[in-house]
Amino acid sequence: MKNKSIILKNLKESSAEWTSGQGPLSDIVISSRIRLARNVEGIPFSPRAEQAELKNVFELSRQIVEEDSLFRDSNLLLLDELSPLESQFLVDKHLISIYHAREKHPYRGCVFNQRETLSIMVNEEDHFRIQYLLPGLQLNNIWKLINKIDDKIEKKTTYAFSEKEGYLTSCPTNVGTGMRASVMLHLPALAMINGINDILKAISKIGYVVRGFYGEGTEVMGNLFQVSNQITLGLSEEEIIDNLEKVNQQIISKEQKVRKDLLANSKSQLEDQVWRAYGILSSARIISSTEAMELLSKLKFGVELEIITYPDLGTLNKLMLLIQPAYLQMLAGKDLDPFNRDLQRAALIRNKISG
Amino acid sequence: MLCQICKKKEVAITLTKIVEEQKTEIHLCKDCAAAFSDKFSIFPLPQFDINDLLADLLNAIDLYHKEEGIVLDKEIECSNCHLTYNDFRKSGKLGCSVCYQDFRDQLTPLLRRLHGNSEHLGKIPQQSKGKFNKIRKIKQLKKELQELILKEEYEQAANTRDEILKLEGVLKKKNEK
Ligand SMILES: [Zn+2]
Ligand SMILES: [Zn+2]
Repeated sequence: MKNKSIILKNLKESSAEWTSGQGPLSDIVISSRIRLARNVEGIPFSPRAEQAELKNVFELSRQIVEEDSLFRDSNLLLLDELSPLESQFLVDKHLISIYHAREKHPYRGCVFNQRETLSIMVNEEDHFRIQYLLPGLQLNNIWKLINKIDDKIEKKTTYAFSEKEGYLTSCPTNVGTGMRASVMLHLPALAMINGINDILKAISKIGYVVRGFYGEGTEVMGNLFQVSNQITLGLSEEEIIDNLEKVNQQIISKEQKVRKDLLANSKSQLEDQVWRAYGILSSARIISSTEAMELLSKLKFGVELEIITYPDLGTLNKLMLLIQPAYLQMLAGKDLDPFNRDLQRAALIRNKISG
Repeated sequence: MLCQICKKKEVAITLTKIVEEQKTEIHLCKDCAAAFSDKFSIFPLPQFDINDLLADLLNAIDLYHKEEGIVLDKEIECSNCHLTYNDFRKSGKLGCSVCYQDFRDQLTPLLRRLHGNSEHLGKIPQQSKGKFNKIRKIKQLKKELQELILKEEYEQAANTRDEILKLEGVLKKKNEK
């Protein structure tokens, strides 16, 4: 197994497949994700487990990664060995949750493959949180892939499962399938006409949750919204995916309609906004992450509407990750204060979009 | 009749909940009903956090216990990890898989609130697939049996009953092994 500094160095230079700007409906859908929560029978859930038990779970994950060919190109990191900055970098990369980075109990781990499509949080609030991400709207494909991975892991252990409540999880909001599926949408047109709140209200009434770019409890930035299922019990995985896909199709068609209207009625204003965003991003010397996310969203909107043909969507999606505070500092190889981060961020953006 | 929550205003709405085939009613005034439905259906962005929802639900369940005069006379505790039901009420997190068994009476209505359902219908682990598939099949056949009896299709019903007995026999043998 590779050591930590090599793993992190590679991770800094590589980019995740889900940011490629490809896949079905990629002009609106950035990525799709499915996460399964699983626990090992006979061991208390991680926050309540003894140190030796947490270690057992971690060693089990090591064994799985080392022995199964499915994980041939995967890495395993022990979070205890990482600095706070390095852990936060994994959050910026969407490989682990904020909760996982900040939790205090030992033997928390993170498994991920080279394409960064698969990641497993070890000893988060559940023993295993397996997640799979792909670009565009493709939940069905993800389910097929993650289902196989789940079977492989189960071969090495026995899952906590009851006939009545299904897969048992630390929080009763995840019990049953243990499955949270989500779709990350870029909705600049709906945001422009203040149409987001109505949609959010409507979909929350039928059992769906909307979150920001970095998941639970995080802010919405760059007009990026994650729509996910709230119900995990009493439906099959296929039903959950099918319903979620339908809800997303509806939001997507609303966004498409507003985009069309905007293009028909206010094309010049749109062009102005897009090119102004390009102007600032390609020449600013100091930029905060909030302003950068806002302008990148505008520029992305311009590319999606074919008002501007460069940079490509993949570059813009990747930039949205690269400009996050921890990622920037990892790239710089040192801690940066907020002012120096804003300088560094502006330079990075100029380099990527005018290149 | 007065509202069960504020105990001040007239009842405007009665919510019926079905918990384990038992119907229970909650009587609420207009204001409390509005507050109640707000809490459970409209989540403001961007601060919405599913754990808040859970906390709300835990409170609602508490209230429900109080209003119905259900007293948890002694502290319930998980026989395996020793988490108490009160600990769970505070954190919203369970301690181990046995908690689900030991708190089942309390959790079932909560799960129904959270998911609209309290029975798993999804994937079954490979290892226990055979067994759980049989249990699921038996449940479904029992439902069919009831319907057949209601429709007075006795011959069909007898066949279904035999099938149930056969499956139950297989399960029993497996358990004895
Ligand atoms: Zn009242
Ligand atoms: Zn327990």
